Amino acid sequence: MTKSQRHLTDPVPRLEHHSLEQIENIWFGIAAVMSFLLFMSAFASFISGTYPGLNGASGHHLAGVVNGRLDPKLLAATPFAKPGLHQNPDGSLDVFVVTRAFQFEPAVLHVPAGKPLTFYVTSADVLHGYSVDGTNINVTSVPGQVASFTTTFRHAGTYNTVCNEYCGIGHHNMVTRMIVDPPQ
Amino acid sequence: MTTSPVPSPPRRATSVAAPLPRVQQAPAIQDTAYLASLKKVTQYYIVTAFLALFVGVMIGPLQALNYAGINLYDNPIVKALLKSYYQGLSLHGVLNALVFTQFFISGWMLYLPVRDLGARINMKFAWFTYVLMTAGLLMAAVSLLSNRATLLYTFYPPMEGDALFYIGAAIMVGSSLLVVGQVVSTWWNWKRANPGRVTPLVTFMSVATWMMWAVASLGIVTEVVVLLIPWSLGITQGVDPLLSKTLFWWTGHAIVYFWVLPAYISWYAFVPHHAGGRTASEPLTRLVFVLFLLNSTPVGIHHQYADPNISNLWKTIHMFLTFLIAIPSLLTAFSVAASLEDAARARGGRGLVGWVRKLPWGNPVFSAQVLAMISFIPGGAGGIVNASSSFSPVVHNTAWIPGHFHITVATATALTFMGISLWLIPHLTGKRLPSVKIASFGVWSWFFGMMLFALGMHWEGLLGVTRRAQVSATAQDIYHTAQLALPQAITGISGVVLLASAVAYFYVLFGMLLSRRIDDGEAAAPIPYSEAISPAGEQLATASPIVRATEPLLALWVMALLLVLLMYGPVIGKLLSNMQPVPGWRLY
Repeated sequence: MTKSQRHLTDPVPRLEHHSLEQIENIWFGIAAVMSFLLFMSAFASFISGTYPGLNGASGHHLAGVVNGRLDPKLLAATPFAKPGLHQNPDGSLDVFVVTRAFQFEPAVLHVPAGKPLTFYVTSADVLHGYSVDGTNINVTSVPGQVASFTTTFRHAGTYNTVCNEYCGIGHHNMVTRMIVDPPQ
Repeated sequence: MTTSPVPSPPRRATSVAAPLPRVQQAPAIQDTAYLASLKKVTQYYIVTAFLALFVGVMIGPLQALNYAGINLYDNPIVKALLKSYYQGLSLHGVLNALVFTQFFISGWMLYLPVRDLGARINMKFAWFTYVLMTAGLLMAAVSLLSNRATLLYTFYPPMEGDALFYIGAAIMVGSSLLVVGQVVSTWWNWKRANPGRVTPLVTFMSVATWMMWAVASLGIVTEVVVLLIPWSLGITQGVDPLLSKTLFWWTGHAIVYFWVLPAYISWYAFVPHHAGGRTASEPLTRLVFVLFLLNSTPVGIHHQYADPNISNLWKTIHMFLTFLIAIPSLLTAFSVAASLEDAARARGGRGLVGWVRKLPWGNPVFSAQVLAMISFIPGGAGGIVNASSSFSPVVHNTAWIPGHFHITVATATALTFMGISLWLIPHLTGKRLPSVKIASFGVWSWFFGMMLFALGMHWEGLLGVTRRAQVSATAQDIYHTAQLALPQAITGISGVVLLASAVAYFYVLFGMLLSRRIDDGEAAAPIPYSEAISPAGEQLATASPIVRATEPLLALWVMALLLVLLMYGPVIGKLLSNMQPVPGWRLY
């Protein structure tokens, strides 16, 4: 028999306790390295500022909002009474969005590109989602709570805006668009 | 990493598949009436589970076609049965991912440890639990089927359903805690009667899983009993939706481990036998289950990255804890692959990967479970993406999410349970499979159908298609773009493949159940215990450090509870001190 022919009929070595232990230790090392890399990459997103966090206890300075909460029946006493873009006395820009089955208020939002915008989102009735295609804007709109985040649109354009949290029979038609105007 | 004081008996290297000696059988139970009753209650749990799965699965293709842009909900036959896409989706989610899973697991993880220990349990209590669980199911089913609780699987308030739904769901889920009590006390009685003995592996895995579930279920039970039932009965006037959601996801993430660990029991203890190999390491298996017991629950906030008024600090802590949960699954991937390689080499398998061909792929009990494992690889990887707060806004509530969980719970768990049923039903009932070929077709087509579904849906999600929506019926055309044409087609085809698969599997299942009983099942389809390369041994005194450290499950159970209270206490405390109840709505 040639060497290779003999190889085909040699008995196959089975795993046993000691060979298994060696391989286990190698695998455990691989798993530990993978976990470490996961931790580090998440960490890196905090440092690089690409972590898309919501602002905490949102809306402290808004009328009628306490600790990020408000009464959904009393939106008229809050800035949510006039949804859309607001300019503050110091020049900063706020955007107020109200979700209501089955529409967004304002129906079509206009915002400028290139400027920081602080969004405040709440719901008048049930849970909705506020998700803007092509961006990392994706928040839950909760009745009684204010969700807030700050973002700057780099590119002008039209962005589809959909509700992505089940809100009833008209959920799939709760779609609108946002228009980001070029910077002046 | 494993040590074993009892070396494995030296194996003669062999290139011929020698039949493995039957190393272990369940202790004999002499009382035939008792054994028959135990098998019967288990059978009732399993069959109820598959009846629920049958109804749930039949609704699936309608939804897959919806995501292919095809709307069947105006068809008169469909309209007679389902008032809306959303009612269908609620039924699909609840029946498949709550009822099927819980009932199967309650039968599986009651029967296995009781047989493993040769124990005598109170059958009146066991039957009472089954009847109560089913009563809860029927109550909730009335509301679901009459479109009075179209709340989807997550039933987030303030969308409101009938009180009957919440009460039925509470009774159904709460009954599982009775099974916890019965199994844990059975184990504890055995411990007291056998001091110094190592808990047998199958019992250990079952007890650890039930303990994890007890800690995990506290969230949803509190939410339903304290918040939702009084609200739906009109006793309280409103519900804080954020508090409710937080309690839901306390359970909502851990429940996926409640679904996967019973499958792991089979992958560790029985699949090696089906393959013709050995369990890799009993001490490592115990370590895996203890890691799941401790770490499954204090991670739920990674489902709430998009929610307001929960601090980024706590979201981040839960994220890191979630990453740690990858470790026991990676250890499982290793162990299970090792036992498969062991089996293949026993049959003469050679080469780095060539040995795979020597595995019994024609045996559907084997192939279902190994295909389920393969599915879990992209499923688990996608889970890591979902748990990452930086990626979350890209995928949250898009079609990516159902893509993910159809290759985890709907394949890794469901396909494993389907494979198990092919020996378990013959074991319990003494009946026979009508056709191995059709069962095999059902198994393989399920796997491929789910892979296609996952491909289509992950892709659609990345293109911005939202989940849980009747996208085929939108008045607008945002879901009719050229980019979406291919993933939509793939999703549609997957729905057809899965329908064919379901027909094949349920043909085999009902064929088995409606056939004649041949014998008592003990000899023809025994519980398929496997030998271990590194066993744990029987005496604690001489067992390895890992075995000794993992044995005190009661203490570890307390630790698991403390860990959850630590990770959820501050968050829930803050929510309680800022409660904002809002009124309910019925918008369906």
